[in-house]
Amino acid sequence: MTISKKAQMEMVGLVVIVILITLGMLFMAQFAFKDRPEKKIFTRKGLAYSTVSAIMKTTVTDSSCVQEFVGDTAPQVGKDILEDCAANKDTGPFGYSQYRCQGQHSCVFVREHISELLNSTLGSWNKRYQWDTHIIDIHGVEPEPLFEPILSKGGCPKTRDRDSSELFFLQTEAGLVQSVLYVCD
Amino acid sequence: MVTKISRKGQVQLSETIAVLFIFFVLIVFGIIFYYKYQQVAIKQQSEELLAARAMDTTLRILFLPELFCSQGDAEPEDNCIDVLKLRQVNETIQKHLEDYYFDLFSYSTVTVAQLYPVPRTFVVYDKLKLEYTKRESTYFVVSVRDDTLGSYGYGYVKVEVYS
Repeated sequence: MTISKKAQMEMVGLVVIVILITLGMLFMAQFAFKDRPEKKIFTRKGLAYSTVSAIMKTTVTDSSCVQEFVGDTAPQVGKDILEDCAANKDTGPFGYSQYRCQGQHSCVFVREHISELLNSTLGSWNKRYQWDTHIIDIHGVEPEPLFEPILSKGGCPKTRDRDSSELFFLQTEAGLVQSVLYVCD
Repeated sequence: MVTKISRKGQVQLSETIAVLFIFFVLIVFGIIFYYKYQQVAIKQQSEELLAARAMDTTLRILFLPELFCSQGDAEPEDNCIDVLKLRQVNETIQKHLEDYYFDLFSYSTVTVAQLYPVPRTFVVYDKLKLEYTKRESTYFVVSVRDDTLGSYGYGYVKVEVYS
C-alpha cells in the first residue's frame, strides 16, 4: 500500500514536470512564431494604392505622342493612353492607335512606360510586384488581359503573401478597363 | 539496524539536495530566458514605435496643406504634391522649424523625389539627430503636379526618422 502510494506520488511529480516543460515550450514557440503583420500590410496596401493612383495620373510629356492626333498635347497614362489602348487593341504591324508615343502602339507604349515607372520605384526598393490590366468588353463576361502582366522577380501569385491596390476602373467606349497592382515581399 | 536507517536518510537527503539543485537550476534558466526575452521585446517595441513614427510622419507629409495639391475649395487630391508649393516649402519650414514644424516631424528628414518627366529632388524638412542609434525609412509613391506645365509627374516621398 505504502509502495503503491509512493509510486503514485512519483507519477504525479512526473506529470507535473511534463506539464511544466510543455508550457515552457509553448511559451517559447508563441514568441518565436509571433508575427505582427498589421503595419506591413497597411504599408504595402497603401504603397500599392498610391503607386497605381500616381501612375494613372502621370502625364506623358513626349511630344511624339500626338503626331497623328490633334487634341490634348499631354496625354495621361490612365484616361488617355490606356483608354486608347482599350479602343484599339490590335498591336500588330498594321494596328492603329491615336497616340503613337515613341512611334509605338499605345498598348505597347503604356506597358513599357508603366514597367519603367514601377521599376524606378518599387523595383529599386527590392519589392516584388505584379501589374495586371484587363478589359471587360460590352459582349464579354470574363475579363481579358489588355496586355501581358508586368512582373518583377516572378510577380505575386495567389500563393504568396500579397497585398493589392484594389481594382482601378476606367470606363471606356470599348468596355470597362480594370487595373490592379499586387505588392509582396 | 541503526546504520541502515542512517544510510537511507543520507540517500534521501542527497536525493532532496539533487532535486532542489535541479529546481533552482530550472528557476535560474527561467529568469535568464525571461530577461533575454524582455531585452528582445523592448528592442522590438522600440523598432515598432520608430516604424509607426515613420508612418505617421509620412501621413502628415501627404496631408500637409503646405504641400498637397489643392484647387480652390475643392477636396485635395490623393497622394499628390504641388511642385509650386514644394519649391517654397523648405523656406517656410526653416523659418518656423523650432516653434511649429519640429512638433510635427521631430527628428527626421523628408525628401520628395520626382522621377518622371524630369528627375529632381527637393528636401522638404531636415532635422538630423546627432548620434542616432537607429534610422527607419519609409517610401510612398506620389504624383507631382506642375500647374505651370499642366502636367503630373511621378515621384516618391522618402521619410527617414531617427531615434
